[in-house]
Amino acid sequence: MNVIQLKRQSWNLAIILLALVLGIWRISQLPQFGAYEARTFVLGILPIALLSMGQAIIIIGGGINLAIGAEAVLINCLSARYMQDTTFTESVVLAIVFILVGMLIGALIGWIIAVSGIADIVVTLATSFLLVGVAMYVMPQPGGGVNQQFADLVSGKVPNFIPPLIWLILPIILIWIPLYRSKLGISMYAIGSSKEAAFLSGVNVKLTKIKLYAIGGLFAGLSGLVLTGITLSSSPFANISNTATLNSVAGAVLGGVALSGGVGGLVGPALAALILFFIPTILLAYGIDPAYSQIITGALTIFVVLFGGLLRKRTAGKK
Amino acid sequence: MSGQSSLLKIESLEKSYGPVLALKNANFEVLSGEIHALLGANGAGKSTLVKILTGVISGNSGSISLNGKPVGFSSPDDARKNGIAPVFQDPALIPDLSIQRNLALTGTDEKRFITELSAMGLNVNLNEVAVNIELPLLRMIDLARALSHDPELLILDEITAALPVDLAEKVISIMNSQKNKGKSVIFISHRLAEIEEICDRATVLRDGINVDTFAASRGSEERIVAAMLGDKNKVSNKLSDSKKIDRSNSVFLEAKSISAGKYLKDLSFQIRKGEVLGVAALEGQGQDLLFEILAGESKLETGEIFVNNKKVTLNHPRDAISMGISYVPGDRKSALMPQRSIRENLALTRFRGISKWGMINTKSEENQVDDAISSLQIDTRAKSQVKRLSGGNQQKVTIGRWVTTGFDLLLCFDPTRGIDVGTKQQIYDLIRKFADQGKSVLLFTSELREIQMVCDRAIVIYEGKVQADLSIDLCSEENLMNAAHGILVAK
Repeated sequence: MNVIQLKRQSWNLAIILLALVLGIWRISQLPQFGAYEARTFVLGILPIALLSMGQAIIIIGGGINLAIGAEAVLINCLSARYMQDTTFTESVVLAIVFILVGMLIGALIGWIIAVSGIADIVVTLATSFLLVGVAMYVMPQPGGGVNQQFADLVSGKVPNFIPPLIWLILPIILIWIPLYRSKLGISMYAIGSSKEAAFLSGVNVKLTKIKLYAIGGLFAGLSGLVLTGITLSSSPFANISNTATLNSVAGAVLGGVALSGGVGGLVGPALAALILFFIPTILLAYGIDPAYSQIITGALTIFVVLFGGLLRKRTAGKK
Repeated sequence: MSGQSSLLKIESLEKSYGPVLALKNANFEVLSGEIHALLGANGAGKSTLVKILTGVISGNSGSISLNGKPVGFSSPDDARKNGIAPVFQDPALIPDLSIQRNLALTGTDEKRFITELSAMGLNVNLNEVAVNIELPLLRMIDLARALSHDPELLILDEITAALPVDLAEKVISIMNSQKNKGKSVIFISHRLAEIEEICDRATVLRDGINVDTFAASRGSEERIVAAMLGDKNKVSNKLSDSKKIDRSNSVFLEAKSISAGKYLKDLSFQIRKGEVLGVAALEGQGQDLLFEILAGESKLETGEIFVNNKKVTLNHPRDAISMGISYVPGDRKSALMPQRSIRENLALTRFRGISKWGMINTKSEENQVDDAISSLQIDTRAKSQVKRLSGGNQQKVTIGRWVTTGFDLLLCFDPTRGIDVGTKQQIYDLIRKFADQGKSVLLFTSELREIQMVCDRAIVIYEGKVQADLSIDLCSEENLMNAAHGILVAK
């Protein structure tokens, strides 16, 4: 661990600190803090944390996925429809199938972007309308259900907060760390940082893009399934997918991912989801209108983008 | 040269971008164990040829063979696996990745890389992110990475441009050691002296055709220039006559023992009206900071600056501009609006002055811009977007905007870097013309020969001080080089 690595970790440290401060603040508002409250925290952030991580991977690779919320909503609807009245084993098998469906949708979006050369933002915006349409076809009304054992596997029996915590940490250990160390991981940073230099270094830019969107789809699939496990139902609404998408971008940005690509990690976005969760709940406890919490979240995001931009400028200016 | 086998052979290669024919019937052969110069004015097809050789693009027709076997490269990776390793003027390292991860990306052996780099007398912290490393070192890192792959054919594309003298010498010794190992090098450079000195043969491209291939030796300069320019205007390296005339002695700007940053320590000099003052220095002697201070972009820590004998403080570029000091930075791209037209780029700095009165006299603006375009001889075929201009024409636009505004002192930082010989001459002529009009020019150039061609006097910066203040007849490359290395010059 040298100074350079320490400097790179400083953003994560700042995010951890902010999350801790807000966490202690929130806990001080509660009459008591135990496993039940911890479970509420984790369940509150899990879907959006997973989505932020998926978004982070795509943004680090120089893209942005405005359809990621719609991907999650579609998987939420698919799972709530088909996992209703199933056995535990069937549910698990279906869960795996739906995660693969999420990956496939992501890969398709990535393929369209890579082959057409149309900007990510345009393709994914168009796809988001399409996917919400499909979700409404799958579940015309809110509803559906899931095997209870499967739901417990996701969200834990009250007040067991360990299962959701595992679902938060497991993707970082099983997906992020191997990805970061792999050739694909380096290629992800490379195409996000400089497409041209990446190409000259021998990176297959198009294939990398497709793979990253597929991994983003995997996280969206996980997020959709977790949502089904927590709410035991589904809601095929565009406003849910839009809010989820925007929160995933906010989470990634707050978590230290540069919108210009090539910079960031996944631990930051996961923690940022915690911050995005604490702000409205803390304010709500004071009886403050939820609209104000939106203002504060928005202001914080702007501040972070500005601060991050300045920080980057300063390091780049040393050239 | 006999007994050397052919390593790379290109026959009747053709490549077009839409209706524009970049290469037509190009033939080119590199023998094993030779250093082969590839030359041509900007737009002659050099970069297209290199891109095809390195797998960035593929040709429309024609054949490429390596060691007698026909090949075609589908990607840079493919070319690298076939033993062709390029190093470009802009290093192909990922800015946001550490050197270590950059090496992992290309599958480069770390130990081998460190060996290659330390053989150059350099070292780097492998955890450092590429964006934090200075350009000259980054190029050497890129070169060391290429060498780690044991390339049969090393392609060096303008790598010595703007490289400090000591590093450029290292590049040359690397080329020679590759040659001694029986490997080949394609060397692309605008510095003719380097080519004469180290290359075995040279091929000149013009308008997408190879026009001449010959053994390079001292004195081939004229042949190279003639082949590059064809029937177009011949370039003279002679000083314009006006230069010998004594300049008025009134001083426009004086810097008194200025210090700033890590490099500038107690630096003093004067520049007179109507004088072109050259600045020579090895890389990293603080010359860029000096220019930024004079342009109001950076602040000095101690010392004083006088303009027309009055003490001034330059806190912001507008302070400098109001004193009549204009800055043409080394990085052309940062000074231009690439997507806008020549006209808008030229008029940009005019608006700043004129909008104070709230009205723009479009008629007079048009006239002034037209004057600038014709007096600068800017090639206006691609006038709608500056990014489509060649490097030389872009440079003329960055200088030209100050012509339309008017200035008393022009700060030119390496204005001819990466520009072909013909355009270079036009820029020199322009600078001389400014001096004839009584304006002052401070010119830093990484190519020492230019100083004798265009300046009236030169200062050499070494360890933050003016090591030598030489009148033009003493500005031989040897003297400048000695002073730049801290050796006293006998007067």
